[in-house]
Amino acid sequence: MFLHLLKYELKVGLRNKDLIIWLILFPIVLGIFFKVAFGSIYEKTEKFSSIPVAVVEEKENEAFRQVLESIENSDEPFLTANFVDKEEAEKLLSDGDVEGIITTDGELSLTVKEKGLRETMLKSFAEQYKIRERIAMDAINTAPEKAQEVISSLTSETVSSCRKIPLTQGNPDVYIQYFYNLIAMVAMFGCMTGMHITMQNQADLSALGARNNCSPVPKSKSVLACLVGSFVLQTICMVLCVTFLAFVLKTDFGDRLWLVYPTAVLGGIMGVTFGFMVGSLACVGEKAKVAILMTVTMSLCFCSGLMMGNMKAVIAEKIPWFNNINPAAVISDSFYCLNIYEDYDRFITKLITMAVTAAVFAALGFLASRRKKYASI
Amino acid sequence: MQVFKAMFKITKKRLPSALAYIIVFIVISVIASSNASKDSKFEMTKLKICIFDEDDTSESRELSELIAQNHDIVEIENDRDVIIDSLYYKRADYALVINEGYAEKLRAGDTADIFASYCLDESFSTVYMGQFLDEYTNSVKAYLSMGMPIDEALSCTEEALSQETDVSMLRNDKGGDAHYSVDFAAYFQYMPYILISAVFIIVCQVLVTMNRRDIRFRTNCSCISSSKYTFQLFLGSGFFVLAVWLLFMAVGVMLNKEMYTGRAWYAVFNSLIFSAVVAAIAVFVSSFEPADNILNLITQVLGLGLSFLCGVFIPREILSDKVLSVARFLPAYWYINANEMIADVIPFSSEGVIQCYLIQLGFAAALILLTLLVRKVRYSGAAISTNVRKTAVSH
Repeated sequence: MFLHLLKYELKVGLRNKDLIIWLILFPIVLGIFFKVAFGSIYEKTEKFSSIPVAVVEEKENEAFRQVLESIENSDEPFLTANFVDKEEAEKLLSDGDVEGIITTDGELSLTVKEKGLRETMLKSFAEQYKIRERIAMDAINTAPEKAQEVISSLTSETVSSCRKIPLTQGNPDVYIQYFYNLIAMVAMFGCMTGMHITMQNQADLSALGARNNCSPVPKSKSVLACLVGSFVLQTICMVLCVTFLAFVLKTDFGDRLWLVYPTAVLGGIMGVTFGFMVGSLACVGEKAKVAILMTVTMSLCFCSGLMMGNMKAVIAEKIPWFNNINPAAVISDSFYCLNIYEDYDRFITKLITMAVTAAVFAALGFLASRRKKYASI
Repeated sequence: MQVFKAMFKITKKRLPSALAYIIVFIVISVIASSNASKDSKFEMTKLKICIFDEDDTSESRELSELIAQNHDIVEIENDRDVIIDSLYYKRADYALVINEGYAEKLRAGDTADIFASYCLDESFSTVYMGQFLDEYTNSVKAYLSMGMPIDEALSCTEEALSQETDVSMLRNDKGGDAHYSVDFAAYFQYMPYILISAVFIIVCQVLVTMNRRDIRFRTNCSCISSSKYTFQLFLGSGFFVLAVWLLFMAVGVMLNKEMYTGRAWYAVFNSLIFSAVVAAIAVFVSSFEPADNILNLITQVLGLGLSFLCGVFIPREILSDKVLSVARFLPAYWYINANEMIADVIPFSSEGVIQCYLIQLGFAAALILLTLLVRKVRYSGAAISTNVRKTAVSH
């Protein structure tokens, strides 16, 4: 009987083409939008690349020219210089082709358009000159016999004083979390399929529900069959969604893509049980159920950073426990753990959280839907 | 005005769920705009640095103090996972470890690897701080080699490093107007997403009900002319949108803590025009009779899609030029353009703002024409008779 019910549930689900198509289309369309919008932001703003700068030489400054050339010839040049005249430089700056203008007029001076880290770096570059000049002057004043040695040690290449400890092998692009949140949102939208189970089993909401209620099959069996059917459909949607993001849009999920799939599927199952629970607990019509589900889902997704990426960090500071129980945040966090952390501890904690949450949702749903009698409809 | 009245009757039934949506979206927009100013990384000249001082000598403390003068020090637990989280979510930009034996090595002039820094990637902040630390240790070394004692060398270094270069700004970029601050502009900035979501929920749900096949067949065989019917639909939708818009403006007044003044009225007018565009989109989408749950998906695609492409959630200046040239064909781009002009983020000119208004109105007009066309084709006698035939066959 169970298999029979499952078969029909799958048939009903597949024939309800609109919903399935939209659940599949939805991440594809938004994924393309996200890719177009964020594809290059990280490389452009955060990842280090040499800073373009215009140099205006009011007075010939051979020493400065040499320094610039030596910087540009190094492996990872810190800046690239264009030697231009004043008008040209200002035009370049206002067009955003260079970040700043360094004018050599005896002293170095700097003109910038914005206040930012790159501008600050240019400023400290210009200051280096003054600092070295000062040290050289001090050396000549205090210990003239060693001055030559000091000056040559200042200009010579030195070993870096700071050793970098890379913390992760994963993708450090912070914008990728919009994709994590997109998957979390698709998973949470599984609540729509979950809610339909209750529509089919509540006699006052649909003709199908009325028919199901007067059949001799135990309710636990029929509801379980519906639930399993919805899991299957949602799993298909999730697998398609991750496949599209990973292989068509080439989103970098780190080096453990094979674990992204079960995570997304588990997230989808949690979404379905969430819809099932809300549908069973709230004894209202379909439209009201949809309204409750959508408002809750969108708020949860907002809190996990779907609209503003730093929302999760803000919440982590103010109400840290909320991130551990917000289903959308748990889903997107588990992708983050897979990408960034080398060990599996936190990832497994997140998976367990998801599984427990899904079990609690399903149990509550079952409890709320059992023994319901419809005296008159 | 039966159609107009019928729309209100339907709305009345849907009011509780519509209110739930609107309240959620108001809360979202308030939270979003109150956190907005922290999001823009472009105003950042101070880094957030956390220092783990494993040496804990007077020399290392002196360095920490020097860094604290120019940057913000954040306290973070010395735990690998916490450090990763903080760096990823930008609670800290740089994590510095002053290694044990720093003071001794510095005195000996051996500056290799006296610091360590945790990093996720080669970012601007790691390069910047790396350069600063090299400059610092080199200067100390230079002073030491002049024969100075360590404390004198440190104070001389500090003095040398405190010299500043004059920086002139090409243009004052802070933006903001006395009547319309950048912070308050953030509230209007998020409005396209909020308006699309809220308006779609109300208007589309009503229109989809009105367009339901049986009801439409009944309306079509009534004596009311189709142009009159469409006109009343637009009128009714316009009324709902106006109500939602007024609600958001009232919340805006509360956030602003005073009535709109001066240039803020430009922004108010801008959002009114955008609401008209949203209403036109809503009527257009509902001509295709989507089911309720699908309508939600469409709303999110349109709302999030427009918002991310046109710079609602992410500042336009960090979007690539290609994205922006595509976004020019979307109404939200011109809304944001006008909003940034009004907030003086880009140079203000009243002609420029009016041009943005007109372009948005153009979008609205085009959408209305498209809607009329779609309705004509979909609901014409020929289309209906095929529909009827189809249903007859399927029964």
